[in-house]
Amino acid sequence: MNLDYAAGILLGSLHAMVPITLTASGEVIGESAGLFNIGLEGIILVSAMTGALGAEAAGPAVGLMVGLGTGFVIGLIFGGVCTYFKGVQLVAGVGINLFAAGLVAFWLIHLGVPGHHAVAAEHQLANIATPFGDFSPMILVAVALPVFLYVLLFRTKLGLKIRAVGENPQAADVAGIKIHLLRLLATAAGASLAGLAGAYISVDWLGSVTKEVSAGRGFIALATVVFSGLNPLLVLLGGFIFGFFDNLAVWVATMPTIKKFIPWQFIAMAPYAVTLLVVAGVIGRAKFPAAIGIPYERE
Amino acid sequence: MSGNETKGPSTLNHKNEQVQESDDILLAGKDLCKGFPGVWQHLILDHIDIDLRAGEIHTLLGENGAGKTVIANCLSGFYSLTEGQIYVKGQPVTLKSPADGIRHGIGMVHQELALVKPFTIAQNIALGLPGSDFSFPLPEVEAKVHELSETYKLSIDPLAKVEDLSAGEQQRAEIIKVLYHNPEILILDEPTSLISADADRLFEVLENMAKLGYGILFITHKIEEALEVGDRVTVLRLGKSMGTRQTARTDKSELVKLMFGEHTPVHLDRKPIKSDTIVLDVKNLEAIAADEEPALQGVSFSIREGEILGFAGISGNGQSELAEVVTGMRPATRGRVIIGGKDYTNRSPREIIRAGVAHIPEKRRAMGVIEPMTTAENVVLKDIRVAPFSRGSFVNKSQITRHTNEIVSRFGALVSDLWKSPARILSGGNIQRLILGRETWRIPQCLVAVYPAQGLDAKAIDHTWELLMRLREAGSAILLVSEDLDELIALSDRIAVMSKGKIVGLFEAGEATREALGLMIATGGKSSTSKKG
Amino acid sequence: MRFPAGIDELAKTIVAGVIGFTVGALIIKLYGYDPIAAYRALFNGAFGDLYSFSESLANATPLILTALTFAIGFRGGMFNIGAEGQLYLGALAAVAVSYFHLPSAVSFALSLICAVLAGALWSLPAAILKAIRGVHEVISTIMLNWISQFLCFYLISEILVDPQRAEKTISVVESARLPLLVQGTSLSYGIFISLFAAIIIYLLLWRTVIGFDIRATGHNPLAAAYAGIEQWKIVLIVFISGGLTAGLAGAMHVMGRPPIYAIYGGMPSIKGLGFEGLAVAMIGRNHPIGIIFAAIFFGGLLAGGRMMQLSANVPLELVRVVEGMVVLFLAIPELVKLFGWLRKIGIPPIFRSKRS
Repeated sequence: MNLDYAAGILLGSLHAMVPITLTASGEVIGESAGLFNIGLEGIILVSAMTGALGAEAAGPAVGLMVGLGTGFVIGLIFGGVCTYFKGVQLVAGVGINLFAAGLVAFWLIHLGVPGHHAVAAEHQLANIATPFGDFSPMILVAVALPVFLYVLLFRTKLGLKIRAVGENPQAADVAGIKIHLLRLLATAAGASLAGLAGAYISVDWLGSVTKEVSAGRGFIALATVVFSGLNPLLVLLGGFIFGFFDNLAVWVATMPTIKKFIPWQFIAMAPYAVTLLVVAGVIGRAKFPAAIGIPYERE
Repeated sequence: MSGNETKGPSTLNHKNEQVQESDDILLAGKDLCKGFPGVWQHLILDHIDIDLRAGEIHTLLGENGAGKTVIANCLSGFYSLTEGQIYVKGQPVTLKSPADGIRHGIGMVHQELALVKPFTIAQNIALGLPGSDFSFPLPEVEAKVHELSETYKLSIDPLAKVEDLSAGEQQRAEIIKVLYHNPEILILDEPTSLISADADRLFEVLENMAKLGYGILFITHKIEEALEVGDRVTVLRLGKSMGTRQTARTDKSELVKLMFGEHTPVHLDRKPIKSDTIVLDVKNLEAIAADEEPALQGVSFSIREGEILGFAGISGNGQSELAEVVTGMRPATRGRVIIGGKDYTNRSPREIIRAGVAHIPEKRRAMGVIEPMTTAENVVLKDIRVAPFSRGSFVNKSQITRHTNEIVSRFGALVSDLWKSPARILSGGNIQRLILGRETWRIPQCLVAVYPAQGLDAKAIDHTWELLMRLREAGSAILLVSEDLDELIALSDRIAVMSKGKIVGLFEAGEATREALGLMIATGGKSSTSKKG
Repeated sequence: MRFPAGIDELAKTIVAGVIGFTVGALIIKLYGYDPIAAYRALFNGAFGDLYSFSESLANATPLILTALTFAIGFRGGMFNIGAEGQLYLGALAAVAVSYFHLPSAVSFALSLICAVLAGALWSLPAAILKAIRGVHEVISTIMLNWISQFLCFYLISEILVDPQRAEKTISVVESARLPLLVQGTSLSYGIFISLFAAIIIYLLLWRTVIGFDIRATGHNPLAAAYAGIEQWKIVLIVFISGGLTAGLAGAMHVMGRPPIYAIYGGMPSIKGLGFEGLAVAMIGRNHPIGIIFAAIFFGGLLAGGRMMQLSANVPLELVRVVEGMVVLFLAIPELVKLFGWLRKIGIPPIFRSKRS
């Protein structure tokens, strides 16, 4: 394998890493605060759509912001249901996924496209051309963000509060922290990153919207979060590894020689199998905050 | 510390010393009421008046379920009041959250420690500090913790993670955390439930603080503590205040009467034990508690057919864990549990139940019943898998109904229906009656009864005692855990005193007097008038 | 005002349904279509005539089963969302039997058995991980779903592929197909199998000792352990029975769904049945009888969706939007109380009448 191939694979992996890392970083914040958002998949999907529309209306930067905003709004709804209304997080998340799938498919049909809406090149985010392929500035964002979030979570008082709320909400309540509000905002912030990831997919990386454009990345992000043990720096590593496999699976599917040895489906399976091993304690330790998934109630 | 202190008439403090009674009322509650919608048949707090003076340690005494924790939480702002008014230094205040409480100088040390376990102590304190969210104030916190540690003689390392500390250290950390905010009023909810061994140290600290002018509200269900440490004691029963007394001017029997109502102990006929067969034999049992501290450190005893062996001692010395290990709910790390001659060490609860062991658990609502399930389902909770309550795999509803009706009437439980309402709506006393019925309708070979009469009214207590004696006559071997010395003396053939996971003394019936028992319990077995073994 | 237990649940479902349909109507309006016409077409297409009703029931057939998977788990205090992965393998197992040309009765029985076993087998890893290592089943079942999906993609395109038409698997042989109940529709006798399964699960949960143990564990695992109920047994039983019904759902699809009785690559026709089953379970309040009605309702929405698309031009995916909203609101435990509160501050009577 020569340098071109290797660099090509590296670049491809970096691109694939972006949505996973963004989403997973956001979810780390949400889960540290105690909410488990299985609706990430739906958020990515809807934001891909809204981001594309935003980009077509007013340019790629706006598109990305619209995607971020979409994620934030959905995050507020999910967070509100699960905090103030004490909703069951798993069920609410599934509701969001169903809603999103229907909405995007509905939208695509309404736009009159046969299930695939391409975002014209001029509306896409400009990438930096390199000899090996395009390099998107979002890759830099995806690398910087986990570092920023790590500092936030482990070196500021806000981070202490977020983690306290997920670990022992009673103690946090006694300390005067507004549990529901903090959880709501943490989840919404996390969801907005998933929204950004969705917009990235449609406005930059793949440049199109289909009704399955999220392609399970929301779930890969959840897997990455588990893998990372809620440490944003490990999310970066996990995101890269999973992005690598995500990209590799596509590449292998097109390479007849490799296909003979390892079918692409097994490569695609890899992130999930690895996560399963992590959770089983075979690799590393998966440790969740003590109060995750439990709605908080004080008399 | 509290501004102008107007001195009132002289009075006696709990040490029987003459002091000036401070007129400075730091905290007062008038007509406090709280009810939880739907669930309870009586108000949790029923028009309570209370006040706390500067420099005093005021004990709130009451049985579990009397409302002590609730009122403490209301006074610190954690719970909201349904009715009534709180006054801080004479000013009416509304406390909507613990932050409000802190602002008014009220700090509360909860029974379930409000510490985030994976955090260090400094991080836990930093959590509650005002100021920018993007700051990282740990260095100042650490410095101040050292300072407070010195002042109040509560040695603690701010950099230690809470989960690595012992229960006693965690509690000290919790107290420092509360003191950090400079409260004038300190509320402690059952502080000795976790640290019975270190209780004296805690009392010293509290007395020092009272001398410095703090007002301390001390919540407990242990009468001995109330008499030892409080200047005044207010007794709560079933949500109502039964009155306030000067500690120096009252005594245990008056407090008992206030807490429980009139109770002339029923005379129990004790016939000699007929059999020599050993039913339960425990050898060198060791086990670890939930917080990973050693709970049982080599306990050995045996109980014969028709014998009641009582376990005395302040709760938290291994009694709960002992009951759990014997009934299969907790693993033993060493030692043997032999029932009816067969080794049942570390067997499942199912096998132990089948070996004929009944269990009246300590936590009746959390373990003894399944609250969302109906009365009938709870009565057959263990028996449902045997005939006639089921045929093969299928449940026989009519048999269950018949049986439940019998149990309900025989044990005097007040229930609204058998198959519709969840057990949650029943009062604690009725739930206990159902549990007693379920565990003893068949004379069990062995019965483990942990605080069986807790929270019951006088009549129910009598019935329970009579029940236990009848079971004893019929041949049950009974392991009785209780904090009530009268109960132990009335019922037990022998009494073992537990301290720090070991049996430190053993009394025969007749030898055991309240004084002897009390002495052994208080000193942890270091001085006694009994023979060991 | 206190409702007796059953009515309270029903009220909550109705309230959530109303919200869902209202949001749906808003979206329809937003896009310039006519909500009234759309909903009329929707309900006609669901229950208007025999054909529609048959299609609704056909859609309901696998949904009842995947809903049961989630519901059994829920009653046992667990979140088993592994139905997706289990049903894929169940479907493929049934197809695989047709690979060997066996005599007809054997084919039929064996297909069912293999499907059911495949589902149960795939539920085991999650069960064992939970029982032995306390692994939270949400994560493990999600991962297993995806592993199953890719495994099935591989099986579909490489192993079970139809030599004549590479985009699908081999079809289930005639002898293993479920006969149609109503000619000209998709409705097969499979509906009876699903109904039967629901009744079995009902009897299991409320009339047997094991069911009692499951429900007790779901309410309070500590008290259940105290009562002698062995937790690891409950975990296994709950997961295995969930796997059995999910595998059966897969079988119902391939064995009962004309015209092709096979699976296309990408599994478009069975994808999502697991999560929709979760939605059906929630709407059916996790009770087998409720699930039957909820599944028929859902199946109706799917069938009616097509009619809505044809006559009112509203894309049928709107149905999923409504579903999603309903599920989202059903996640709120005290939904009905919430509306009582709104009533106090003077919200218009339209909500009041729904509540009574």
